[in-house]
Amino acid sequence: MSESILSVEHINVTHGVGNASMRALSDVSLSFPAGSLTLVMGPSGSGKTTLLSVLGCLLTPDDGSVFVNGRDVTVATEEERTTIRRDQLGFVFQAFRLFESLTAFDNVVISSHIAGDKGEQSRIKAQQCLDLLNMGSKKHLKPGELSGGEKQRVAIARALMRDPKILLADEPTASLDSKAGELIAGILREIAQDQHRTVVVVSHDERLRAFATDVVCLLDGKVESN
Amino acid sequence: MSLAFQNLLHDRTRFLITALGVAFAVFLMIFQGSLLIGFLRAAAEIVYAADADIWITARGVNCFDFSATLDRRFREIAQGVPGVASVSRVSVAFANYRKPDGNHQTVVLVGADPNVGSRFPLPYLADSQRALEPEAIVVDETNTDGLEVYAFPTHIEINSRRAHVAGKVRGFSSFLGSPYIFTSYEDAARYSNLGPEEAVYLILRVTKDHDIASVKDQLAARLPEVDVWTQDEFGRRSKLYWISQTGAGAAILTAAVLAFLIGLVVVSQTIYATTMEHLDEFATLKALGASKRFIINVVLNQSLTCCVAGCVLGLSATIPIVAFARNVVAWIYTPWWLALAVLFPSLLMCVLASIMSIRTALSVEPARVFRV
Repeated sequence: MSESILSVEHINVTHGVGNASMRALSDVSLSFPAGSLTLVMGPSGSGKTTLLSVLGCLLTPDDGSVFVNGRDVTVATEEERTTIRRDQLGFVFQAFRLFESLTAFDNVVISSHIAGDKGEQSRIKAQQCLDLLNMGSKKHLKPGELSGGEKQRVAIARALMRDPKILLADEPTASLDSKAGELIAGILREIAQDQHRTVVVVSHDERLRAFATDVVCLLDGKVESN
Repeated sequence: MSLAFQNLLHDRTRFLITALGVAFAVFLMIFQGSLLIGFLRAAAEIVYAADADIWITARGVNCFDFSATLDRRFREIAQGVPGVASVSRVSVAFANYRKPDGNHQTVVLVGADPNVGSRFPLPYLADSQRALEPEAIVVDETNTDGLEVYAFPTHIEINSRRAHVAGKVRGFSSFLGSPYIFTSYEDAARYSNLGPEEAVYLILRVTKDHDIASVKDQLAARLPEVDVWTQDEFGRRSKLYWISQTGAGAAILTAAVLAFLIGLVVVSQTIYATTMEHLDEFATLKALGASKRFIINVVLNQSLTCCVAGCVLGLSATIPIVAFARNVVAWIYTPWWLALAVLFPSLLMCVLASIMSIRTALSVEPARVFRV
């Protein structure tokens, strides 16, 4: 197995304050090697999404460290975490989070626009990403004209646009039928193994176990099995 | 095309409402601006129509329309000051105008010597700029119906003395509600019972080899009982009086400011509603690593696009409406630069309207992207 490019060490996360506070993650330590597809499972409220938020530099833990490509992002500034998200992480969401007013192509190329790159090269790259996911022929369609599986493929294309080493996916198959779900799971495995990226998938979907290289189970904010 | 522009096109109804809000504000600002500029222009139109360098008025006269008389000796003294090329008389007084059908109307009777300048409206005899037709008046073209002038000459009475309307002029409509009528100084003095030793205004031309300011200073020193103004000073004084002392200027300015505020509220509300509707998209942008600058650009571009669309709509509506309004308010005036001048407050309005939306978009929690 390759060295870990994403890891958390002894992280604690508490939501809320005072009597209403709730420990979402408790002393969690995990590492995610390059080329792996790690499936994070657990019942609702187990801390899966909180873990994904921490890994995605969207949430800073109360304690502990989060390493992305060897850098502890818990001590980074907000601007630095924004840059890390933009350049080193890719996101895939359960609700797709595509921009309804944009075409599939523009939804992908916007990742480069966010990084300030509006050159022809970024358009070529967007076309390649869509072609990779067999969505090249539907690049002119808007999200409202696409099926759930197609939307998710566009979202994955967007996530790959900046060539991130890490891909974080939140329930990527939850909004899809079984056939589309299997297709997406297969794509994520290819991204991990063929493209040697680190893929972390949070899901309830037991079918994804077959595609994962590692499975982490969370319960009440703690790692139950790894 | 950008996300900002595509979002606007995606929700065309909201875009149209925002653009109409801006258009309404632009229209009101230009309309009120046209009223204000026209009002100021009309307040000093007659002053600037005279070919004069210096005006002598009774002490404390604030504007052309409300005057007081001057003693004849001032004219003689003024003529003796070095550098004074000529001295002419101008009078103004309210008078009773008896229409052909016997009805009465209060008018502002303006009289002047024939050498006050070719732009000054007077009943010149045909092909002459020196001789004036006796017992004749001219009226502004916008007042002909109100004064029942349907042909020339039309016989009327002024302060129970016989006169006739000999012609009409353009650009001298009054904002007082009482039309201006113009005649020779002698006839005006006779109609308004001005004494032979009296004048209302003395207007002076200065020889080319003398400095107007120094001649004015000499006149002021020689005539301490009266006020001496350069033409620009008296014109500005008239404008200032009407705008500051009567409340009319303040009312028009207030309406223009209200137009700006109404536009601000409309645009703020619609831009804010658009932002709230796209809050998840801003959270997604932040999660994808969009900088603050990128997010500010999205909101500002939406706002400025609405501004440009609103300005085009507003200007398109303003031009025909102001033209129509000129039939009712003859002195309304829209200079070409006013449309450009309104662009600045319009842009400011849209930028201000974006501030709350930008704050909201920047403060959205990016982790909400994981909520369904």
